[in-house]
Amino acid sequence: MAQQKIDIDITSADGFRVLKPTGDLDVYTVGSLRDAIASILEEDTPHVVVDLDSVPFMDSSGLGALMGGVRRLREAGGDLAIACTREQHLKLFTITGFGEGVSIAPTVEEAAEGFRS
Amino acid sequence: MRLSLRWKIAGGFGILLLLIALLGWVTLSLFTSLRSVQRRVFDDAIPGLIAVDEIVRSYTAQSAAVRGYLIGSQPTLLGQYEDEKANAQFWQERGAELFTSGQEADLLRRIAATGTQFQELVDESVIPLATRGQRSQAFRVLGQDGTPLISQIETLGTLLRNSQDEAVMEQQSEVRARSNTTIFALIVLTIGALAVGGAMAVVLPRALVGDLSKLVDAARAVERGDFDYPLEVESQDEIGEVATRFREMQVGLKRLQQLALQDLELQIAASIQQNLVQRTLPATPGARIYPMQRQANLVGGDWYNVDVEGRTLSVVVGDASGKGIAAAMMATLALAAVRAEHTRGASPAELVQAANRTLREATEVESFTTLIYAMVDLDTGVARWLNMGHHPPFVIRSDGSGPRAHFLEGPQNRALGWFDDPGTSEATVDLAAGDRLLLFTDGFLEAKSPDGEVFGHNRFAETMQRLSALSPDALIDELTAEVERFAAGKLDDDLTMLVVEWAGTQADEPTPAQRGDQ
Repeated sequence: MAQQKIDIDITSADGFRVLKPTGDLDVYTVGSLRDAIASILEEDTPHVVVDLDSVPFMDSSGLGALMGGVRRLREAGGDLAIACTREQHLKLFTITGFGEGVSIAPTVEEAAEGFRS
Repeated sequence: MRLSLRWKIAGGFGILLLLIALLGWVTLSLFTSLRSVQRRVFDDAIPGLIAVDEIVRSYTAQSAAVRGYLIGSQPTLLGQYEDEKANAQFWQERGAELFTSGQEADLLRRIAATGTQFQELVDESVIPLATRGQRSQAFRVLGQDGTPLISQIETLGTLLRNSQDEAVMEQQSEVRARSNTTIFALIVLTIGALAVGGAMAVVLPRALVGDLSKLVDAARAVERGDFDYPLEVESQDEIGEVATRFREMQVGLKRLQQLALQDLELQIAASIQQNLVQRTLPATPGARIYPMQRQANLVGGDWYNVDVEGRTLSVVVGDASGKGIAAAMMATLALAAVRAEHTRGASPAELVQAANRTLREATEVESFTTLIYAMVDLDTGVARWLNMGHHPPFVIRSDGSGPRAHFLEGPQNRALGWFDDPGTSEATVDLAAGDRLLLFTDGFLEAKSPDGEVFGHNRFAETMQRLSALSPDALIDELTAEVERFAAGKLDDDLTMLVVEWAGTQADEPTPAQRGDQ
C-alpha cells in the first residue's frame, strides 16, 4: 500500500500540542498522524489534542492510529483528546466504543479540559 | 572538477603529440643547423682554401717559368707563364666570389695587386731585358724586385689561408655547441614523452579499468542477488556517472526484490486466508444463508463464520481494522479464536472475552476488530446478538403489510483487541417467517463517492428498503452494484455480508453456498 503524506499542522497551546490533519485519515495517510504523535512522545508531558475539523473521512486505520496514540501517550505520562464536530466520526467513536474514556469535544479548548479532569 | 573521459584521453594524447612534435622540431632544427654549417664549410671555407693555394701556387709557378726562361730561353716557358697568369686570374675571380668579408676580400685584393705588380715587372722589364739579350740584368731585376713580390704574395696567401682555417674552426665549435644543445633538448623531450606516454599507459588505464572492474564486480554481485555490494567509484567522469546510475539501480532492484518477496508473502497469506473461508456452509434446516464477500485487495480484514449446534445457528461477521496483510492476520486470529471458543462450547460472552484477550495480546496497540455475533433459534426465530464495536445489524421484515427494512437497535459493546473489558451486552429480536437478518461490514457504509461523500447509514437503509422485495441473491447483487456505482467503481474496502433468511419452518432447499456451489 503506497503511503501518502497529508498535511498535519502542529501548534502549541497552554500545556498541550494541537495536531490538525487536513485530508482523509485512512490506511494510505495514517502514517503521517502516527509520525506526528511519535514526534511529541519525546516531550516531558506529551498532551495532544487532535483536531478532526479538516478530516472529511476517517476509516478504521485512522481510528486505530488515534487509539494507538491514546495508549502510547498515556504510557508516556500524557494523554490524547479529540476535537470533533463531524457526525460521521462521532458515530465511529460511539459504535466502536472508543469514545468512552477519551475526551471528545466540539472544540480544542473543551477537549483539552479532559486533561485537567 | 568534472572532467569528461573524452577530455582526459584527448588531453593525454594531446600532450604526447605535442612532445613528439617538439622532438621532431628539435631534430629538424639540428639537421638544418648542421646543413648550414656544412654549407659554410664545404661551399665557402674549403673552396676558399683551394683558391688561395691555387693563386699562390700560380704566382710561384709564374716566377719559376720566367726564371726557367731566363736560364734556358725556351719559349714554351713563356707560354707556361702566360697559362699561369690566366690561372691566377681565374682563381682570383673565383676567390672574389668566395671571400666577401672585409678582411678576406682586402687580403685577396692585396694579393691580386701584388700579382699585378709582379706581372707588370715581368712583362715590362724582365722579358724585354731578356729579349734584348740582357739576361743577367733580367735576372737581377727579377731577383731584386720580383722575388719580394712573390714572397709577399706567399705571406698574404698564408694570412688568407689562416683566416679560412679559423672560419672552419669556428664552424666546428658551432657544430659542437649546437649538437650539445640539441642532444640536451632531445634527452629532455624524450624523457618528457616517455613520462607522459608511461603515465597514459599506466595511470589512465588503471583509473579507467579500475573503476570498470568495480562496476563489473558490482554487476556480478547483482547477478548473485547481492544488491548491497558497495560500489566505490569517486571519479567525476562518465564512469562516475554510470556508477551513480548503477547505485540507483541497486536501490531499485532491492526494492523490486522486496516487493517480489512481499508479493510472494501476500499470495501465501491470501492462500491461507482462502483456506479459512468457509467454502461450504453447514446445513441450517429452518434458515437459508446467503454469504457474500468481495475483497478490495488480495488479502483483507473481513471475515465471517457460520456454525450450527443443535437447533442454534451461530453467525459471525467480523472486520479487522486497517487493510492488507496486517488486517488479514488479525482477521485470521479473530476467526481462529472464535472457532476455538465455539468448538469448546463457550457462551457468547465467554467467546468474545476470549477473542478480546487473544487480540489484545497478539496485535499492535492500533489494531482492533469489530464483529457481530448472532445466534438464531431455528425453531422459534428468536435471534440474540452481541455487537462488538460494529455497525448495527439490519433486518428486512416481510409481514403482511409489506417489507420493512431497518437497522436493529441494541446495546453497543466495544471493539475487540483494545479494551480490558469490551462488554457483553446482548440484544434480542424475534424473526418472523421470511424475515431476513443482515450482518455486514463497514465497506458498504463507508464507500466513498469521487467528491468525498460516504454511502452512509441512511442511504444504505433507503436502498435496502427499495430492494427488499428482491430475493436475497438479487438483493446482494443490486446493493453491491449500487455501492460500486456510488464509488464510481473505486471500492477501497472489503465488502462482506451474510443474509440469514428464517423460513419459519425447516427450509426444504439449501442455498448454493450450503450445497457447496461457491
